[in-house]
Amino acid sequence: MSYQVFRRALHRRLISPCALTATALAFIALAGFDASPAAAHCFVGSRFFPATLSVDDPCVADELSMPTISSFKTGDLPANRELDISGEVSKRITEDFGVSIGRTYTRLWVPGGPNASGWQNLETTFKYQFLTWPQSEFVVSTGVSVEWGRTGNASVGAEKFHTVTPTLWVGKGMGDLPSYLGFVRAFGLTGQVGYAIPSWRRTVTTSIDPDSGDFTFDEERHPHFLQYGGSIQFSMPYLKANVVDLGLPDVFNRMVPLVEANFRTPVANNIQMPNVWDENNRTTGSVNPGIIYVTDKFQIGAEAVIPINRASGKGIGWVAQLHFYLDDIFPTTYGRPIIPISARIGQ
Amino acid sequence: MNVTRKTLIAFALFVASAIAAHAHAQLERADPRVGSTVRAAPPVLTLYFSEGVEPAFSSVQVTDAAGRRVDAGKMRVDKGNPQQVQVPLRALAPGQYNVRWRVLSVDTHKTEGSFGFEVRP
Repeated sequence: MSYQVFRRALHRRLISPCALTATALAFIALAGFDASPAAAHCFVGSRFFPATLSVDDPCVADELSMPTISSFKTGDLPANRELDISGEVSKRITEDFGVSIGRTYTRLWVPGGPNASGWQNLETTFKYQFLTWPQSEFVVSTGVSVEWGRTGNASVGAEKFHTVTPTLWVGKGMGDLPSYLGFVRAFGLTGQVGYAIPSWRRTVTTSIDPDSGDFTFDEERHPHFLQYGGSIQFSMPYLKANVVDLGLPDVFNRMVPLVEANFRTPVANNIQMPNVWDENNRTTGSVNPGIIYVTDKFQIGAEAVIPINRASGKGIGWVAQLHFYLDDIFPTTYGRPIIPISARIGQ
Repeated sequence: MNVTRKTLIAFALFVASAIAAHAHAQLERADPRVGSTVRAAPPVLTLYFSEGVEPAFSSVQVTDAAGRRVDAGKMRVDKGNPQQVQVPLRALAPGQYNVRWRVLSVDTHKTEGSFGFEVRP
């Protein structure tokens, strides 16, 4: 179903309320370990890459996105209105390797039909930040995301099969450009590319034709998808601290205007049908202009969600997120890697 | 107490912890100002950070256009205000200067940055 395009594009991952309660209380209960220098959330040299809403940032970090709320009309005919409330908690195992767990609660309004609500499948991401060049503000991570089948509600589109997505994440700040380029140095780019492989090639549904009484078989293929996207961001904090202090009020100096884009193209195990407008037959995705407001311990982001075609959605939606930097909030406990070793290149 | 109430209380405690916590030391402002042009050579460079810094694990270097060091001694962290760092400078001739700083905040996070300023006659 085409509304899955948006769900996947919108980075929806949530821990349950019970799990959040337990996790938050565990944070607070933890007491001081010994501390040694740490870099933590996405600082690469002078550059800070904020956590983006649609594309994952290129670093391993201790962080909590809670909640991410999005609303949009799906690419179905007719379009459904979908509201997602999601979140994700990330934990560093070592300085360079981390795990994220997330989930989404979905509410669907179907025109002329019954509404539906329920959980999407649980998602887990394992990420290794293997290259960090501070002088060039360049960072590369690799990893794999797993959507665990049968952990969500089929009524909101959660699949019964698993999907494994090996992914590469990249970030590059422009701060190493010549100083005469001035404002251009405040730009940063991030990107990601992944290949989504479902564990089932197809689903075959058997039914009895009410007219003939014969068995009928309906085959639904599950394509492999190339998932790719990125962001271009203009960092006002970087501008103020590294290029030129314009003397603006602090509220402006904390803003990161950005545009994110996220796409998904079926590349294998799909049947090309030129007149069919669903995600299994063409590239879908969205372009999301917005802004992130960065503070010392958390950030708030909001973006418009503009579908690139009718198969991606109808009209303009929106997404907003509250994101906490756990390494700053709990620097001596949760915000430290469990095993404080590093094996990255360049730092 | 139902799950929703427990969740809200936990979240409120969490947010309270976030507000009270230290964070990465970010450069709030500098004197001379980042990217500025000054008419008189400043005798000292002052950096103001968002968090207190640990002087033993922090450094500030000031270089001229040829890459020569023009800072005239160790950086000092203000005893009354550990967020304020000062570096004495040699007599600066007109020209471009670059400041590169690396600091360790009191919560043990490292941050770094660099910026330029110009002295005009």
